[in-house]
Amino acid sequence: MTGILGRSAESVAVALRGVFAAERVAARDGFLQRRDPRVSLCSITGLALAVVIARTLPVTVAIGLVTVALARLSAVPLWRLVARSAVVTLASAVVVLPQVVLLPGEPVARGLGLAVTDAGVAYVLTFTARVGVGVALLSLLALTTPFSAIVAALRALRVPVALVWVVAVTYRYLFLFFAELRRLVLARNSRTAGGSTARDGWRDARRIAGAFLLRALDRGERVGRGMRARGGARPPSPYERSRALDRHDYALAALAVAVVVGSGVVRWT
Amino acid sequence: MDVIDARGVTHEYPDGTTAIRDVDIRVERGERVAVVGANGSGKSTLQLVLGGLVDRTAGTIRYFEETTDPEAVRERLGVLLQDPDDYLFNTTVREDLEYGPSQLGVPKEAATRRIRRLAADLGLSELLDRPPFRLSGGEKQRAAVASALAFEPDVLLFDEPLGAVDARYRARIVELIADHEGTVLVFTPSLAAVPEVAERVVLVGRDGSIAADGPVRSVLTDRQLLTTHGLRPPPTVRLFEGILDPAEMPLTVSEARRYLERQCG
Repeated sequence: MTGILGRSAESVAVALRGVFAAERVAARDGFLQRRDPRVSLCSITGLALAVVIARTLPVTVAIGLVTVALARLSAVPLWRLVARSAVVTLASAVVVLPQVVLLPGEPVARGLGLAVTDAGVAYVLTFTARVGVGVALLSLLALTTPFSAIVAALRALRVPVALVWVVAVTYRYLFLFFAELRRLVLARNSRTAGGSTARDGWRDARRIAGAFLLRALDRGERVGRGMRARGGARPPSPYERSRALDRHDYALAALAVAVVVGSGVVRWT
Repeated sequence: MDVIDARGVTHEYPDGTTAIRDVDIRVERGERVAVVGANGSGKSTLQLVLGGLVDRTAGTIRYFEETTDPEAVRERLGVLLQDPDDYLFNTTVREDLEYGPSQLGVPKEAATRRIRRLAADLGLSELLDRPPFRLSGGEKQRAAVASALAFEPDVLLFDEPLGAVDARYRARIVELIADHEGTVLVFTPSLAAVPEVAERVVLVGRDGSIAADGPVRSVLTDRQLLTTHGLRPPPTVRLFEGILDPAEMPLTVSEARRYLERQCG
């Protein structure tokens, strides 16, 4: 498929394949997969918080090594973790790259009338590493914990029920809307004979966007009815699920606390 | 006791189209009713209006002879929507099956027992931890039916519950509906399943009004009535039309088989 619509359909398919691949990883037997989702959620969020607190490259790299170790223990292929984190990391590197010449410091290289400073290089490396490790941690959580378990953990952690519902329903309907969009594009492509010009593609894309918006609104209304049909007009009251934590859960939580404290100590002392 | 008593119910869409017109339906406790009609006749709108999910523009509906507010009796009304994707909105099938019972105050242990039984009945046991968007059309339909039955409502208002399922689970869903101890209203354009789930038929005409309301046999054997409203009699009726009297005509394949066995000695 070519043209804007073909590429849109392909992008949607790629996004869905990514989610399905993550589900397969989450179904493997690994360290994080065996943890209580509450512990995984809090510990990995804690490690991400440590990355936010850390302002030095060595601490960030150390947390990065912890992330890699957790990935290995959880049978998560490193290439998948890197692939999921690379786009955001590279984008952030591009955004902060001008700092290599903007920050004052000792020049380490010169060219085009600009001086690359040691402070600028250190800032860009540290910032990019922090983004990379932070995104890798969140990817690790997404790859090892099914979304339904994360939602259940949020409920168990007493996050406001309405907020959890919004997150859960948004996730669910993202895929429904992806599928709706894909159906629209495929329906158009199945009735498009021969090649079409870029102009035709954009014209059809406008039509499809309009139809998609109407369908999305209609779907939202129907889902609202589906919820009301089963008591959705009342305040959300899902059943609670809990299990006893084991020593590995406590160990992971202790590791996260130690890393957060260590990161804070390095930064503020 | 009337579980639903609708009088002069009309629903107009915002663009002025009248979907259902001046509908009077009284359904008594324990009755099994099939609401049939051609595509676009307003069956689904009628189901939503009777289920209290869409407001009527005129008329009154009284539930269980006690209230006109459907939300006051929500736990007694099992409304199954036509499209399972509108109905399954949780992150796993299990959570979807639990949604109705938890919202409507069923204790967790009782709900878990019901869900386990329904999941086994409808072949969902292996799918409980799957996200609904990963299910096939038939699996979604079964999950939606199980979700609607999970809180054991008094009245089932099911819109095309057999739409996407294969023969095995179609028979199972028909059994579940037949075994339901309360009141049943099934909205369907397919007349073949009607004799298996209902004893009374309400025919919605092309203009959204009630064109006929009577016993299954009298409506399903009236070719002229059905044809006028865009429907065909069920296959067994077409087979024996002109050969047998409507009063003796088999309405289902098993009835037809028994009849033929009798004739063949």
